[in-house]
Amino acid sequence: MSALIEIKDLVTNFYTYEGVVKALNKISLEVESGLTFGLVGESGCGKSVLVRSIMRIVQSPGVIEGGEVKFHMKKNGKDEVIELLSLSEEEMRQIRGSEISMIFQEPNAALNPILSIGYQVSESFLFHISEQMCAKVLEDLESPRDNTNFIWKSFLRYAYRVGSKDAKALPLRIFNKIPILKCWDKRLKEEATRRSIEIIDKLHVPHPEQVVKSYPHNLSGGMKQRIVIAIALACNPELLIADEATSNLDVTVQAQILELLNELKKEYISSIMLITHDLGVVAETCERVGVMYAGNLCEVADVREIFKNPKHPYTKALLNSVPRFSTEGRLAVIDGFVPNLVNPPSGCRFHPRCPLTMEQCKQNVPDLKETGDRHLVACYAVD
Amino acid sequence: MAVFISRRLIFLVFVMFGVSFIIFGLQMTFSPERRAMVFVTTPQQAKDIPVLIKKYGFDQPFYKQYFTWLKEVTSGHLGYSLVASDSVWRAFWRYFPITLELNIFSSPCIILFGIWLGTKAGQKANTFTDHFTRIFSIVGWSLPTFLFSLVMLMIFYGYFRLFPPSVLGDELTLLVYGNTGEFVRYTGMFTVDGILNGRLDVTFEALKHLVMPVLTQMVVICAILMRVMRSGMLEEMGKDYVITARAKGVDKKTTILKHARRNALIPVITVAGQLVAALMEGSIAVEIIFNRKGLGWWLAESAMQLDMPVLMSLCLFIAIVFVLANLTVDIIYAYVDPRIRLS
Repeated sequence: MSALIEIKDLVTNFYTYEGVVKALNKISLEVESGLTFGLVGESGCGKSVLVRSIMRIVQSPGVIEGGEVKFHMKKNGKDEVIELLSLSEEEMRQIRGSEISMIFQEPNAALNPILSIGYQVSESFLFHISEQMCAKVLEDLESPRDNTNFIWKSFLRYAYRVGSKDAKALPLRIFNKIPILKCWDKRLKEEATRRSIEIIDKLHVPHPEQVVKSYPHNLSGGMKQRIVIAIALACNPELLIADEATSNLDVTVQAQILELLNELKKEYISSIMLITHDLGVVAETCERVGVMYAGNLCEVADVREIFKNPKHPYTKALLNSVPRFSTEGRLAVIDGFVPNLVNPPSGCRFHPRCPLTMEQCKQNVPDLKETGDRHLVACYAVD
Repeated sequence: MAVFISRRLIFLVFVMFGVSFIIFGLQMTFSPERRAMVFVTTPQQAKDIPVLIKKYGFDQPFYKQYFTWLKEVTSGHLGYSLVASDSVWRAFWRYFPITLELNIFSSPCIILFGIWLGTKAGQKANTFTDHFTRIFSIVGWSLPTFLFSLVMLMIFYGYFRLFPPSVLGDELTLLVYGNTGEFVRYTGMFTVDGILNGRLDVTFEALKHLVMPVLTQMVVICAILMRVMRSGMLEEMGKDYVITARAKGVDKKTTILKHARRNALIPVITVAGQLVAALMEGSIAVEIIFNRKGLGWWLAESAMQLDMPVLMSLCLFIAIVFVLANLTVDIIYAYVDPRIRLS
């Protein structure tokens, strides 16, 4: 299976008043295309920072300090490797939303409360496939059924002809500043809204025509999450990152959304990266799993392998702390606390809480090593 | 919408009733003699005080005096202003345009400049721009208006002879207030009247006299608006929907202007509404120092001379302005924020 994303030695730090929070400590990870990759770990271990670093939307005071992220893009059937961290902001903007997109934890906060759903979804189209849509509008203009008056029609024809080549061409930017000519993009927006209705409809949202006119506060949590997914899916991305996409929904809605993601993966997207702290969700939906602890990746393996044969002490402890029907008595917990990432423990960051600590764990950081059967572990105690 | 507005206007009647009741009650704390003294100008007239008290009914109980006043006001008699030596109604229309003219020029400047500066500071938190605007706003906010106006007057008029105080120069004042029929005062705002009379020199002169008061008000009042806008911007830029917008590939300009700023504007509208309403009653320091005889000047002068009819009428006016300003703010709110329904 070919790689989709290769991350190497990624370092992201947050410069806060208490000191530098070392949120990502040289993470290396490879995600294959066509898979659902699960990323698990407790709160604050850097899962979200990792995916936000991939998309380069880490918020201030966070800074991506080093490493590389290689993205294999399939353009016109050809495989093209792009180093995301070295792209310019404008090039990166074009990747976001069209090649890699993201859905968020809190559907209530992820949508802008004062903009209509239709506008928020159509923004995805307007910022990525304007040219394509201009060409479509131009086609409609030529049809004999269109009865706009002659002068306006020839103006529109000119505007859309320019737009179908480059939506940010100089004449169009000038039109945008002039009061009446500003309306040239009305049909473009209508086209975007039409496509929004289409994509919302695909996500099993009832009455999409009314939904596009409504605002986030008119919709339920599950509906909002579907809209967030619609925004992410609008341009058929290669990779969809779901950052705790189901954590804040109630269980029935959660099941629906996971079902929907599975369904969509078959049809539209090649790969999904699912971030969660719910091991049940991982077992159900993912094919490959990465376990993170305090800014480090501990273990990467196929999902069956992780559950049947966990090797890293942290993974073992994590799996033990899931309540089961078969065991009685107190729930197993991991002793100690999540380390403060301003002053992380030396060596392996898990060593203060690890039952198998050795002398070298306190000094050196273990690398991810292949231990057979596509199973990578970062631990000195495993051999 | 219509129901909402009419309900607010009915509410206005009660507000005016309450305000007048309180202000009238406050003036009752003065002794009848003190209130009669307003009409006394020479020592010889002092013996007339008991006569004046009887004549104007200052010794009657509160409710009787209040109802007499209420009856007069509802039948359209607001009383006579000693300060203006004219009826309150006519004097109001003489002073109000002066204040209104200043506000028509200064409010848009204050609002637009405040929002612009706040947006700039908020989107570039902790940079040079941010520090500079913050210092500017703290200085503007903490400088007393009278001191700042005096300094402005000293520099721009005293040294450079650029922008004179008062409303118009001497020659044009004679022309404008003269009864030759050459110049008709349609609105009382000379920038507008100059155009209507075809005398652009009057308009130009009036504008020249407006520069400094507008600038003073801008520096002093912008500060609070700018700070509200800045903190709003900072808060909104950290919200999740901004990340959503960036994650779907929206460019920086649209993220800031369309997503974050529209949300940050909501608290700014409230503050701006209050500021404009407060400006309508005239800013006393600016009007006195720049010698513009508007509502603020009139109010201060009347308060010092206990000119009760004026104070009562102006309080009613201020009540009307505040209720209308709040009404406007609510309507704009409903337009900006779809979560708010007028009902």
